[in-house]
Amino acid sequence: MKGRSEKNDRTGREDAAAERAAALIREKSSAGRLVSESEIISLLEEERRKCPDSLFTRLPDENEDVHRLSGAGSHFYYSSRHMTEIYARLLLLKLEGPLRLIAETVRRNSCACRRPVPLDLFTQPPFNLTRQEVLDSLAEMSRTEGWEDIAVASTSASVVFLYSRAHLETGHAEMLAEWLDVGQVQNP
Amino acid sequence: MKRMGMRGYGGWAGKVLRVDLSTGRCWTEDTIERYKAYLGGTGIGYKVMWDEVPAGTKPFDPENRIIFAVGPLAGTGAPCNGRTAVTTLWPTCWPEPLVASGHMGGQFAAKLKYAGYDAVVIQGKAAHPVWLMIADQKVEIRDARGIWGQGIRGATAAISGIMGTDAVVAAIGQAGENLVPMSVVMSSVSHSAGGVGSVMGSKKLKAIGVRGSGSIRIEGRKEDWEKLIKYHLTLLGANNQHVVPNSPQPWAEFDNPTSRWNASPGRSWGASAYPVDTGTCDPRDTNRIAYRSNNAAFFLGDIAWRYTVRGNGCTSCPIRCHTMLKVPPVTAKYGISAVGQNTCTGLLFGAAFFKEFPDGPRGMARLEACMVGMNLADDLGIWCNYMQVQRDFKKLYYGGVVEKKLDAREFRSYSWKKYEQGDPAFLFELLPRIAEKKGELGTALGQGTGYMLERWSLSEEEWGKDKDLAYWKMGHPRHHASEDSGQCGLLINLVYNRDPTCHAHTNFLRNGLPLPVQKKIAAEIWGSAEAVDAVGEYKPMHPSKARMAKWSLLRKELHDSLSLCSWMAPWAASPLREREYRGDVSIESMLYKLATGDDKDRGELDQIAERIFLLHRALTIRAMGTKEMRVRHDKIPEWVFTDKSGRPPYTKGTTHLDRNDVQTALDMFYDELGWDRATGAPTRGTYRKFGLGSIAEALAKRNLVPE
Ligand code: SF4
Repeated sequence: MKGRSEKNDRTGREDAAAERAAALIREKSSAGRLVSESEIISLLEEERRKCPDSLFTRLPDENEDVHRLSGAGSHFYYSSRHMTEIYARLLLLKLEGPLRLIAETVRRNSCACRRPVPLDLFTQPPFNLTRQEVLDSLAEMSRTEGWEDIAVASTSASVVFLYSRAHLETGHAEMLAEWLDVGQVQNP
Repeated sequence: MKRMGMRGYGGWAGKVLRVDLSTGRCWTEDTIERYKAYLGGTGIGYKVMWDEVPAGTKPFDPENRIIFAVGPLAGTGAPCNGRTAVTTLWPTCWPEPLVASGHMGGQFAAKLKYAGYDAVVIQGKAAHPVWLMIADQKVEIRDARGIWGQGIRGATAAISGIMGTDAVVAAIGQAGENLVPMSVVMSSVSHSAGGVGSVMGSKKLKAIGVRGSGSIRIEGRKEDWEKLIKYHLTLLGANNQHVVPNSPQPWAEFDNPTSRWNASPGRSWGASAYPVDTGTCDPRDTNRIAYRSNNAAFFLGDIAWRYTVRGNGCTSCPIRCHTMLKVPPVTAKYGISAVGQNTCTGLLFGAAFFKEFPDGPRGMARLEACMVGMNLADDLGIWCNYMQVQRDFKKLYYGGVVEKKLDAREFRSYSWKKYEQGDPAFLFELLPRIAEKKGELGTALGQGTGYMLERWSLSEEEWGKDKDLAYWKMGHPRHHASEDSGQCGLLINLVYNRDPTCHAHTNFLRNGLPLPVQKKIAAEIWGSAEAVDAVGEYKPMHPSKARMAKWSLLRKELHDSLSLCSWMAPWAASPLREREYRGDVSIESMLYKLATGDDKDRGELDQIAERIFLLHRALTIRAMGTKEMRVRHDKIPEWVFTDKSGRPPYTKGTTHLDRNDVQTALDMFYDELGWDRATGAPTRGTYRKFGLGSIAEALAKRNLVPE
């Protein structure tokens, strides 16, 4: 009997910890953040909860809205109640450094959305890079293998756009940059 | 409180107010009896023009009518219902004035309904300046000699002083008084209908002041109406029904840097009493719709956030697209108010005259030029003709034409150095001269492009070759034509007598969703995914593009007749992932049915919209005295077929069209509309199908219906 009640107690504590972990993920997601496994463990420890061994397999299995992403040397969690997968992946890219963040965002836009993106996009939330960081990243890409497709187009209003040559031809990208930056404002 | 409504119908106020300024007589007509088949707005406008204004009438003749008409949804709780259609003979339409309409937002439409009227039809000409006071049933033509010569702001304040702050005033400025064709009527600070100020001026009508204490009866059950409004709000995007944010947001699957949904954490209204962070603006939170769009930031750049007070707008519209700005430095520098508000071309009015600014294209000088432009144009009552006057001016000046056409004294009277340097103070020299018809330059610019070209012996054909100039035809520019909407945009731009101000097609194409998502929705609405192309990747004509063009055209007339904002409607797409971004193209008929109690579905309302547009076509044919519309009216400027890159049409990175393909597009479009392919005129059968048999007979007597 004693063994069974201990087991019940343990199961109850583990369930509570798993529920708390899911709640923490939702909380962070609603604030626009991913949570890593180590962060979950330390948050639970702060609340004097023991992290059950099976926690990280249980979380996505038992919570329809909780999803796992892997990258930047860890596993991360987000709740799709508050965040789309695409946004969560963007946050992950952010953790992988500005070069990946810029290049993958530019590639996705050129490929899936057929458009160049303004350089200043990366200075705004959620990217929050400084202009200098963006320029330094572009300079580094031009010196390093693997980023050759990332290219620049300037508009008549001197606004710089980025695109991937793998997905957009230069003439096409230039025309679109001018249309997006100047054409649409003059054609409201 | 009075409740309006006629013969069991809700929605309509029930009366059309008639005013003859020549005789001073005011009387009313029954809306339902005379105009129900035309809904309201442009429908009433075109009907009055057909019945009462014979071919050959000129815009400034006392026989011309100016019709301020609203629809059954104006003044209700339907979102974005604040638009008044102003229909008349269009003074900038060249080489001959034809019927057209302008559209004014603000609170005028609702007030007119609360006063008990669906429209005000003005005819005749007063012996001296007057203004029209409408206070419920009390209608008076009042002496306006004391306010004639004042700007719009002064006139509005004076009339509000008499009628009370609850009144709405639509007034003209000096431009309208001086019969400058490029003039507006304006209400609620910044809401203008372009092109019609001078028609009011010709009738010596300075303003209309309206105060109404009634309400609109909703025929359906209260709970159903409230449920429908709530549902409709969930479908709303940002301004122009852009349905994705312009930067990644946690809730969004897609974003698009050119969306007008520019709210984001960190972007704040910097000049409000305390800074308001616009936040993530999840689309499910319909209480935050007003934060989604900051049009000043969209048009003037990030610098505008710092000076934003809030959004302003029309009755029952949560979008608030008229951004209010407070820019204190302009008071000391230019002696103008620090506060100004407007949207789109109204915001850009001043800046668009300049080629460059000392601190670049998105800097403070440009913002100041916008403030100066709004302050002057919105008081003098000058129209920009969708920024054609600014484009014309730049081309004329930098092409050396201004110097050639002005005598030396007049030319020297302008500070051209200031102009070239992008100094906003230059606008104080130019804009008042347009409003006062002072000098050759002011007079020519105030006439509108077509008459200006004729006056200066310049070729319209040449104007139509320059894509950047955006000139279309008949004195007016393109408005979302082939440069942004391919064949569909081209077709819509062909059939109006001014720029068409139709957004049904472009709101969808620019809504920010990726092309595959747009194509899926397009296939459901227009029968094929081929209906839509991406800009810069156009494909040859397809029948679904003709269907989309017709659909868009009918939506425009429907919205202008119901009083829904054509800058928001229709709601073909929505920001809702759970709906796979579908909107609801039946929302207009759902609102109409519940408001009025008239049991018409989408198809039946579309038929009314088609009748309304047929009337527009009939009016145009009658006035032009020809049925050869394909050749004489539906003309296409040369820039549509050219591209600087020299690449062939329908290759990536180009937006020009192929000549033969465009002829195919015309054939398909005329077929869709039931118009004769050879002439582009509606057939007798088409007129009859839409209940316009008598119009067909009248036109046939003059050989204006194809055999
Ligand atoms: S979108 Fe703008 S113009 Fe249209 S109804 Fe709303 S505030 Fe008025």
